[in-house]
Amino acid sequence: MMKKFRRVNWLSVIIFLCSIFWLLPLILIFINSFKPYNDMIQQFLSLPKSWKLDMYVETWMKFEFPMLISNTLLYTVTTVLAIALMAPMAAYKLSRTKSRFSGICFILIIMPMMVPFQSYMISLTRVVASLNLSGTKLGQILVSTGLCMPLAVYMIHGFVKNVPYELEECARIDGASNVRIYFNIVLPLLKPILTTVVVLDTLSCWNDIITNQLIVGGSAKARNIQNALYMQFSAQTSDWEHALPGIVMSMIPALIFFICMQKHIVGGMTAGAVKG
Amino acid sequence: MKNKKVKEFLLFGLFVFPAVAFVLFSTGIPFIMNLYYSVFQWNGVGKSMKFVGMDNFVKIFTNDRLFWRGVRFTLKFAVFYVIIVNIVSLAVALVMSKEKKTSSVGRAFYYVPYIISLTAISLIWKFILGPGFEALYEITGWGFFNWSWVGTSKLAFYVVVIMAVWQNLGFYMVNYIAGIIAVPTELLEAAKIDGANGIQTFTRITIPMIMPAISICMFTSLTFAFKLFDIIMVFTKGGPANSTVTVAYNIYQEAFSNNQYGLATAKSLVFVLFVLAVTAIQMKITKSKEIEA
Repeated sequence: MMKKFRRVNWLSVIIFLCSIFWLLPLILIFINSFKPYNDMIQQFLSLPKSWKLDMYVETWMKFEFPMLISNTLLYTVTTVLAIALMAPMAAYKLSRTKSRFSGICFILIIMPMMVPFQSYMISLTRVVASLNLSGTKLGQILVSTGLCMPLAVYMIHGFVKNVPYELEECARIDGASNVRIYFNIVLPLLKPILTTVVVLDTLSCWNDIITNQLIVGGSAKARNIQNALYMQFSAQTSDWEHALPGIVMSMIPALIFFICMQKHIVGGMTAGAVKG
Repeated sequence: MKNKKVKEFLLFGLFVFPAVAFVLFSTGIPFIMNLYYSVFQWNGVGKSMKFVGMDNFVKIFTNDRLFWRGVRFTLKFAVFYVIIVNIVSLAVALVMSKEKKTSSVGRAFYYVPYIISLTAISLIWKFILGPGFEALYEITGWGFFNWSWVGTSKLAFYVVVIMAVWQNLGFYMVNYIAGIIAVPTELLEAAKIDGANGIQTFTRITIPMIMPAISICMFTSLTFAFKLFDIIMVFTKGGPANSTVTVAYNIYQEAFSNNQYGLATAKSLVFVLFVLAVTAIQMKITKSKEIEA
């Protein structure tokens, strides 16, 4: 009995050490973000002498973090709300309507999952520019909503099939209108898959850099946090004393969100695996 | 009767059209514009668009060294990435699925890189490979740390592979774990009773049973490799000396650095066909190998 207990423990220890090793880059960034540059080079692996937040405060002020965070939050919240409103409606109606037109609409929506984003992104910047939306917050919100839509509709569409049709029929007999049936009966039943979609889209909006770079690239006022950090620090000689606290601060919201929503994220990763 | 049909259609429109409109705006219309621009010579800003017919496509196939260099790089990356990420994540998943208690924490650690942003990832690696390795060289004196990892073409390739594997491993691991957990224990026990050793059980039972997971992971890793763009754009910018230019990054360069807008859209069409063809073939192969449980 004793022997077995020990063997199991060793395996756990190995797993744990490997996992720590995997996170080593992140840990090193964290401990070095508290050091002045000389200490980063001379005592790269050791803990900082003091855990003072001076550099964090300075970075926060110097790079206008309040504006960056409010921009990023604005993009994330509006995109996710738009998706949560429109995607389940479309997915529900498309799944319940069995006509050729409905089929065409469904294929139209999910088609972008097969075609790589990189192949139409250059013309996307043209479309946005021709509507005078490049460099604006509205442009960023519209584009990211459109880009998140296909996967969201696809995932929810698959789930609607499990929602019993009888419930809707009962409500219809009782005299409920179509819109009311959707909001009062169907939508609450879609909650599990909707949570997954919301969680995935929240992360992808918060972490987005490519669309922000393409759509608002030049205008400093509309940058999100990732793009601003990229523009500030991706030059050859980097100002690491400010860059490291900046990276850590940009990751903290995503990490907290991840810890709270772990289950949904893992579920979403396997559910979204079909995305091409 | 007619009234009811109209009402029905309006309802359908109310539910479906907003989503369709957004998708058309951000992907449908740009894609069709791509088709249109691909037969023009145009710099992307000026008014003069010259119709050149198929010339852009001819140019891609006959006289575009950087594009084909990008193709070679992308294929080489795909081979390395698909093999490494699938083998490592399958190995990690096998160990993780054996040990229930610690592995939930361990699993979380492995997929943390998957949920942090590309900006953070690229800056983190820039720091580790720059000041970090410099410091480690001072401490250990190993020449390995003194190599110019981002500055030489050969090493930059491996850096890109390592970064991609580090970032995405968690995703494949989760898929493999889901597959391994679903293998019925009766089958494994039956094999044990019949005297199969660990390796035999793995190759004869586990592998065939997790074929769906393998095909999903192969499929996603292959398409990821072909579409490799983000890491290049944020981290290497194609350098040093254009040695890490991928197909997708070459399209971007052509449009935004060289201002060859028409040529870039033509390239992106070639790219779409290439990606679709390869994934179709690959889907067919892996689908035929799947077995029913």
